[in-house]
Amino acid sequence: MKQRTEILIMILLALLYVASAAAQENALLLYKLKPGATGKVCMDCHVNIQETVKKPFVHTPVKSGDCTGCHNPHTSSHGKLLAADSKEICAQCHATVIPPDARSSHKPVAEGNCMKCHSPHASDNRFNMLRAGNALCLDCHKAMGETIAKVKHKHSPVTTGCLTCHLPHASSKAGFLLKDEVPALCTGCHKVDKPIFIKQHMNYPVAKARCTSCHDPHGSDMPGILYNDVHRPVASKMCSQCHEDATSGSPLKTKRSGSELCKECHSDMVNSTFAKNKVHWPLLGKQGCLTCHNPHAAREKGLLKADLITVCGSCHKDTIQRQEKSLTKHDPIQKGNCMACHDPHGSNSQFLTNKASIIDVCGKCHDWQKHSTHPIGDKVKDKRNKNLTMQCLSCHRAHGTEYKHFIPFPTTSDLCTQCHDQYKR
Amino acid sequence: MSSIFMKYAVFAFVLLAATGASAAERLKQVTAVYLDDKGGALATPEGIACDAKGGIVVADTGNGRLLKYSFKEAGISGGSEVKVQQLPEPTRLQLDSKGDIYALDGKLRRIVHLKGDGSFAGYLDLHGVPAPDPQIRSFKIAADDEVYLLDVLGQRVLELDPSGNFRRQLPFPAQAGFCSDLALTRGGDLLLLDSLASTVYAASKGGTEFKPLSKDLKEYLSFATYLTTDSRGTIFVMDQNGSSLVTLGPDGAYTGRLLALGWKEGQLYYPSQICVSDSGLLGIADRNNSRAQFFELIK
Repeated sequence: MKQRTEILIMILLALLYVASAAAQENALLLYKLKPGATGKVCMDCHVNIQETVKKPFVHTPVKSGDCTGCHNPHTSSHGKLLAADSKEICAQCHATVIPPDARSSHKPVAEGNCMKCHSPHASDNRFNMLRAGNALCLDCHKAMGETIAKVKHKHSPVTTGCLTCHLPHASSKAGFLLKDEVPALCTGCHKVDKPIFIKQHMNYPVAKARCTSCHDPHGSDMPGILYNDVHRPVASKMCSQCHEDATSGSPLKTKRSGSELCKECHSDMVNSTFAKNKVHWPLLGKQGCLTCHNPHAAREKGLLKADLITVCGSCHKDTIQRQEKSLTKHDPIQKGNCMACHDPHGSNSQFLTNKASIIDVCGKCHDWQKHSTHPIGDKVKDKRNKNLTMQCLSCHRAHGTEYKHFIPFPTTSDLCTQCHDQYKR
Repeated sequence: MSSIFMKYAVFAFVLLAATGASAAERLKQVTAVYLDDKGGALATPEGIACDAKGGIVVADTGNGRLLKYSFKEAGISGGSEVKVQQLPEPTRLQLDSKGDIYALDGKLRRIVHLKGDGSFAGYLDLHGVPAPDPQIRSFKIAADDEVYLLDVLGQRVLELDPSGNFRRQLPFPAQAGFCSDLALTRGGDLLLLDSLASTVYAASKGGTEFKPLSKDLKEYLSFATYLTTDSRGTIFVMDQNGSSLVTLGPDGAYTGRLLALGWKEGQLYYPSQICVSDSGLLGIADRNNSRAQFFELIK
């Protein structure tokens, strides 16, 4: 068996050599080059490459002196006399870095920006990487690097290397370039049948649960690398406050469904919300509070599933997109502070605003509009509609428009002449 | 010459019928209503219902009351107030075959039944509905007075008899995002509006599951919240955040977009509910313009 494998490797190496030789042969024929001119002649002028190729890891075509494998020696429509577009040339040999069934792919790979991570000629690092280990990844993923550096409790595989859990190019098995789905990826190291594991999880059968719904795989300031904001019953290991008993037939089942479960503790909040004229509909849905909140732990304050732009934008995509396209940006939205104007649970006002009057909502930040503005207020009628009075939204759309200053018309004069039509040109 | 024209006209008609396409709808502005019969202004109306006899009811939500109007050739008249303490926050409205009013209260999330004269007849109590207790987002009353509820907690449409007795339930499709409304076609098919996926699903009369009827309509809709049909099979989708009306053919194909955002008459600002009568009157609860607008439907 071993002998057969060795023979197979020998054949493969021979084929590789033949292929490389054939490529050189083709280049010689194509460009009518002198023998050895596919690479050696190039080096005579490109002396810097002579130094580069002395590095321990050299790209195979460079090593075999096949510069014409990637470059055209005479002319090219692409930079650096490349034989094809820089975003496509690597794929001519490395076509399978993103498998057809990939569930996630690394953006630079998908975009053909291979040189963001690899040197095309030679490098001091394996696989011609520009930098070794996590340093390369953290060049782009800076925020992650800062988090990893300052967290109190580190996840050891993160220190060992990002590639412990992630693949660099694409993953056919999971999102986020993970080598496998969670929990299978985690249980590869964390044995779920160990007594300490069972004890830490209060005897609940969490082997098939999604570990990352409670634990931050990149480390955190909380013991057990729980996310920094931990729901009090979880922190105090009182799982049975919400779930059936660990010894019951359905231990992971919650004792009540939807917001009814949360109301057990958060009764004041739930009762006051439900007493309002308008309740945010998802609260009344099947997921209830869990539409926006994580029940166990979260990276964001208030156990939010993500930042507010992401959470609110998961349903109100059109509104968030309007801001993205808007020529003028609204600061609270830019900062993801939707709650500056809205009460996400319920309100007595339209648009779930946190104050009854739009003027008061805007006035929290724009206090100048109370003393130096176009006449607004309950006594100033909107000339376009006798049932409306002038307020901020008479002229602006708070989430932006395709025009400047949040106005819904191309020019200011188009806006003003809506009412002051005597000035219409 | 005329025979050639006739041939083409017949061919075009056959083609239209064969593809199930419907001609685009157009609207002719009739009037806008701003006041009750005593001169009181409407405030953020969220509901409107109209019947074939010209009866119109508007949910004047900001004032916690209903207003009754009637439509005759001369236009819209009336505006008498119906105010009952059991209905503090009227939102969506429906009329039954007898002219009784059904209103969804946004605060109590219960359906209030009022007689045609505006007297309180009771809440629509539900009997025999399987758990969980429904959270009603919307409802419709069919021509035979059967009641259809959109239950966002149970993720289903409930079919009840006129007394509120449970008949059957249809689950939302597994892929549904957030369903905001339902509608019935004149043939008895059920339609379901998914606001997040901007998709209309349909279940044939007596059918047990919803299937996509329209394609993804995100290209035409910002955030749709209301759905209704007319006697000709046109499906009207109210795009609340886009402040306009999108029309679909009976096969769910996009046929047009009507009206646009604005404050002047003929424009909409966060509309809430529409009604279409068999006589071709289309009423809109133009919520953030604090008025009701009326149009005539023209094919």
